[in-house]
Amino acid sequence: MIFWLSLLILPYKGAQDPAPGLLRSKRASRRLECARVSPETGSQSYPGQIEMARPRGDYVERSVMICRERLLRPDLRAPQDEAILSDLDAHAVAMASAAEALRPDLGERTWLVETHYPSAQVSAKVAFATKNALVRQGLKVSDRTPVLAVGDVEVITRMDPESAYPVACRRYAETGALGPDQALLAVVSLDPRETILHAGLCDRGTWSWLH
Amino acid sequence: MAGACAQRAAVWDRRWRSSATGGVVRCMTRLSASVGLLVGLVGGGSGCVHVYQPMSGLHDPVVIDPQQPNFQDVRLTVYCAPGDHLNPEETRMLCRRVGTLFENQGAVVLTYTRNRLQVEQAREEEEAALAASESESEAGVDATGVSRGTDEAPTDLVLELRSRQTHAASDPVSWVLCAGSFTLVPGVTESSFATDVVIRDGTGFLLARDTLEGRLVRYFGVGSWATNRIVDLLWREDEDELTGDAVNQDLSADLYSQLSQLLFNAKMQWQVRQEGLRAAGGSGAAESASDAAATGAATP
Repeated sequence: MIFWLSLLILPYKGAQDPAPGLLRSKRASRRLECARVSPETGSQSYPGQIEMARPRGDYVERSVMICRERLLRPDLRAPQDEAILSDLDAHAVAMASAAEALRPDLGERTWLVETHYPSAQVSAKVAFATKNALVRQGLKVSDRTPVLAVGDVEVITRMDPESAYPVACRRYAETGALGPDQALLAVVSLDPRETILHAGLCDRGTWSWLH
Repeated sequence: MAGACAQRAAVWDRRWRSSATGGVVRCMTRLSASVGLLVGLVGGGSGCVHVYQPMSGLHDPVVIDPQQPNFQDVRLTVYCAPGDHLNPEETRMLCRRVGTLFENQGAVVLTYTRNRLQVEQAREEEEAALAASESESEAGVDATGVSRGTDEAPTDLVLELRSRQTHAASDPVSWVLCAGSFTLVPGVTESSFATDVVIRDGTGFLLARDTLEGRLVRYFGVGSWATNRIVDLLWREDEDELTGDAVNQDLSADLYSQLSQLLFNAKMQWQVRQEGLRAAGGSGAAESASDAAATGAATP
């Protein structure tokens, strides 16, 4: 009797479990981002769906695992793009916060944002998110991007990153591409193997790394 | 072991049938057979399917290839603190493997199986004692499991690992069903763990921090084991298999990939910070390079 009962119950118990098993492949399980929370916390996110403990207790220890599926299936985007874009808001806020916190004297400047990333589409998204984050910090932001002459670009692109960014910054100031009332926040991916972004600041021809 | 127990139960079954008949006897026979099978499974350690599920952080995208020399000449110190999830022996093994992982990628690694503060305190005490006795320290391994390098070169990066158990549960309903179904229905036990990773530079500046969370589920019973084994053999692809050593391989692959990626990101942060500190010291080189760029811009 118990055997037949268990055969009836088992598929329903197995289907709810996010771990890989007979009804869920490893790939499907890896698409889920899960967190274990208390029933109280869980019921704030999913009201009415989580059975709470009775006010006087019921001798049952409860915890809730909340899983959400990732927006895009794995391997749809390149791993570096996926890592950057899946955490884009946090990256952008970190860079904008660093700019504001480390250089509070530049609060009245107009900020320009430039992105150095292998993919043009991702660059555009990163630049947009960073500008939004700067605006949220209460800073003035321009959509303009400073441009260098072809000769400058030819020389600078042959340099190693250590000297290329300071030189480009100096040239921006010398050619007037970046005015004295403006500051440039450059968002940079220095190595194709990293999944983070760095931020550099160009202010009146002087380059400094912020993040 | 499980097979032997099942054979023994079958022998008992035949003997009882030959000497006696009746419902009670048959019931007793079946009970003893199931108990024998259960004992066999427990004793043999087989009949269990361990499943690993990455919850958060462990299955984040990884770009780095841990087979490449990603940390050439980086001096790395690894601290692995034992906790409620890993005992000292397991911690030592983890630390050794993590050390090997980064040595294979070109780093010069020093490992400690205690937390950083304890090691620093011990070192300060040792230095104070040495200063008092004015004797030179010798390289080697001390009684507390702290290994010391032969050189006194400062470390570039410090990696701290601490693993803790965040949840453990055993489903009593599943165990009742497991016993009632002669282990055809699995008894389920699960535990969740979190590994805190903190990476600093040699001066203690925080470069990266993350928590990697995962879950291990154990299905006990001949039904679960046999079904998964058959499905592994007939249906699942190699990377989707659940039985055998798959759980260890999957967990190790995820953990070591994430640690490599985190350390590489931290190394880049550290290099940028070093560059920033150097630039703050002087910008003469940038000025001369800028002159070269200006000349290039003037050239048609």
